[in-house]
Amino acid sequence: MAKAKTIHLPERWDRPFGPDMTDEDVDRVVALRIFENIDESAFPASQAFRDIIKNDARLVTYQRGDIVVREGDYGSSVFVIMRGQAAVILDTQADDKKERRLARRQRTFGSAFAQLWTNAKMPEVRDIATYDAETDLNVRTEADEKRAFIPDVDSFLAKIKIHTLNEGQNFGEIAALSRTPRTATVVAKSDLEMVEMRWQGLREIRRRDNRFRELIDRLYRERSLSRHLGESPLLSHLDESTLEMVAAKTIFETHGDFDWWSSYKRLASKDSEEVLKQEPVIAEQGAYVDGLIMVRSGFARITQRLDHGERTVGYASTNDVFGLDEIVHHWRDGGPLRLGQTLRAIGYVDILRVPTAMVEEHILPTVPAHLLPEPLRSKSTPAWQERGDEALLSQSLFDFLVDNRTINGTQTMLINTDRCTGCDDCVRACSSTHNNNPRFVRHGPVHGNLQVTNACMHCTDPVCLIGCPTGAIGRNAADGRVMIDDRTCIGCGTCANSCPYNNIRLVEIRDEEGNFILDSESNVPIVKVTKCDLCFGQFGGPACQRACPHDALIRINMNDQQKLAEWVNR
Amino acid sequence: MTFTSRRYRNILICAAIAASLVLLNWLFDMALRDASFLSGWLLIIGMAFLTIYNLRKKFPFLPLIPSAYWLQFHVYLGFIVIVLFLLHTSMEFPRGPFEITFWLLFFAVAGSGVIGIFITRNLPGRLQQRHGERLIFERIPVFRADLAEQVRELAMKSVTEISSSTIADYYAVRLNPYFAEPRNFSSHLFQSERPLVNLRREIRSIQRYLNKRGREILDDIEVHVIAKDNLDYPYALQLVLKGWLFVHIPLTYSLMIFALMHVVLVYAFAGRTL
Repeated sequence: MAKAKTIHLPERWDRPFGPDMTDEDVDRVVALRIFENIDESAFPASQAFRDIIKNDARLVTYQRGDIVVREGDYGSSVFVIMRGQAAVILDTQADDKKERRLARRQRTFGSAFAQLWTNAKMPEVRDIATYDAETDLNVRTEADEKRAFIPDVDSFLAKIKIHTLNEGQNFGEIAALSRTPRTATVVAKSDLEMVEMRWQGLREIRRRDNRFRELIDRLYRERSLSRHLGESPLLSHLDESTLEMVAAKTIFETHGDFDWWSSYKRLASKDSEEVLKQEPVIAEQGAYVDGLIMVRSGFARITQRLDHGERTVGYASTNDVFGLDEIVHHWRDGGPLRLGQTLRAIGYVDILRVPTAMVEEHILPTVPAHLLPEPLRSKSTPAWQERGDEALLSQSLFDFLVDNRTINGTQTMLINTDRCTGCDDCVRACSSTHNNNPRFVRHGPVHGNLQVTNACMHCTDPVCLIGCPTGAIGRNAADGRVMIDDRTCIGCGTCANSCPYNNIRLVEIRDEEGNFILDSESNVPIVKVTKCDLCFGQFGGPACQRACPHDALIRINMNDQQKLAEWVNR
Repeated sequence: MTFTSRRYRNILICAAIAASLVLLNWLFDMALRDASFLSGWLLIIGMAFLTIYNLRKKFPFLPLIPSAYWLQFHVYLGFIVIVLFLLHTSMEFPRGPFEITFWLLFFAVAGSGVIGIFITRNLPGRLQQRHGERLIFERIPVFRADLAEQVRELAMKSVTEISSSTIADYYAVRLNPYFAEPRNFSSHLFQSERPLVNLRREIRSIQRYLNKRGREILDDIEVHVIAKDNLDYPYALQLVLKGWLFVHIPLTYSLMIFALMHVVLVYAFAGRTL
């Protein structure tokens, strides 16, 4: 029998963010204004501040005109400028003038076809030679992507509205902290040298140093506020000075628990009343409407009192507004400024509260009529009725999706169990496209004939990313899918434990002969985490959906309620 | 588009194509041309298309048309092929062993296909009625083994706890075989609960001979019997859902071999070609 292969147990900084960081580089970074007051004694020896900089940060250079980050792309790193200037593009209309970055590892037709005979015969086979390769680091960071650039950057920037960032200033914290897409495009205005720090480093420093945390959080709030207001269709007709005045009066609030997944798991078995009690009220039905609430990130549940309980009538996510109906009703018809529904934070949610007086005085007069809501109608659905006249989904299904936080998914795998014959073509297709390893389990919570299958949902708020010590799990910059870099993963299982939906699994890896790969010291099998990657690099999108013969399976964005309802009500 | 409206649309298209083929066949006859070569070649092309659906499933990593579209095409083309076959054979019974085998094979494939569609559209909805969730077929034997072990322990425990071998004897004769493998396949398929009702009646009939502790153990065993039945039910249904393809696909390949032999024989002995 062949001897089992051994490797040393992967550790957190085996694959540093930047392999070339020297002690001199660390000295330069530590001397930056943003880090100069860091209290190094607050860091434990195992995670010393300088070690964090050395392993979780790297120096990157960009030439004049290079696009550093692009609005809408995903990224979880923060940049601090060491030398040069960067331009933040505030004019969103300018984005379509820039070429898209197209870096994507796509299979060739031949290599796709060759999977028929090249797939491993044993489960979870890995080529350990790739674990030692120093090249082709993490899959998700901006600097790894092929760079796009703007040829005539001076004339381009001259025509649009920008904000210039200088040495010592940072950007990128919004996407890193809120796990949302980049909110603005940043271009190198001159040749740039920057330090790019991945989320894991930012998290540790933020955790250990209060002043650093306050600085980053303040920037996050200020910049989130101004960016979000500027992008809202309701405010897009305001002139610059009015927008600034509105921004000055707008309040940024955070509700709920940033680490919501741990409390969610405890609540999973509780009844609906208990679940609602745990969701902080942002604005309560019957209360005075003190402002228009704009959801910046996260999720909120909208409920309405019915007898002694609360009925879930909707959910709000990024870019949704709450209270507009009542304000418009008051402004147009003189109706009462009382909220007709309650808004509660599901998990954690960032909101902006624009004072009612500002909305009535400055915003509503400029908003085109078609963007304003219809006149309020006092219409309610009886408790016994499954679906209201205008509802897209049945009430119980709606409750199920919100209670289970399935609404977090952007690529949720739903299976219609009335049509699924259990043929497992989906599982086989997944397996065939992943070296004979299925990346989901055809099982999961069921409501009626709808099964929310245990496959990664590629969440809007992927909490699995938060605790990863190495940065092995991250979003793909181009399309936001959550992916795992197998070589960087140390198998700690933090992401699997954080996933509220049990969609990440730990597996013991093997060599080509089927022997477990062992840790050279303890002789225990090396483990890695795995999950659905939406058939990254394969042709035609998720193989599971394409393989289902019975139209029983779909990967769907749960925010697209129209499409969801059409699929469910077929 | 709802499934119902899609079905109506596809039936209409399918009926229109079938009617066109009947008309074409009739026109050939009217023109005193041999329509059997036309219907024969259309038939073999149609059958080839139906057969390659199975190949499509082997290449999930290629950008082929989604399987759901293939299946729709497969089902409705299947009906058209039946019409073609009837036209081709002039709805006459076959003569000779080769033709009879060929004819039987065709209707076995078509019949298993029609039955397959019927069961794949009807059984899935019944699968989770008892559990509220869908059990994975491969896990059912594991659950069954767990139940069997628990019941064995209860039966063994009864001997010492009630100083009687009644339950243990009953276990050895009736329950051990019941828990050893899936039972009452056809009853589950036709949704009859009679075998379970009978078994429970039998269990209850023992109660009068037991003391209080014995009855408690028997009640516990009865719960396990019901749980086992709840495993047998989805097992039977899933076995049919998975198993019918093991009839349909091998028959299909046999049919294709006969069809090719038929073509060779026709051209060898027809005397002329069109």
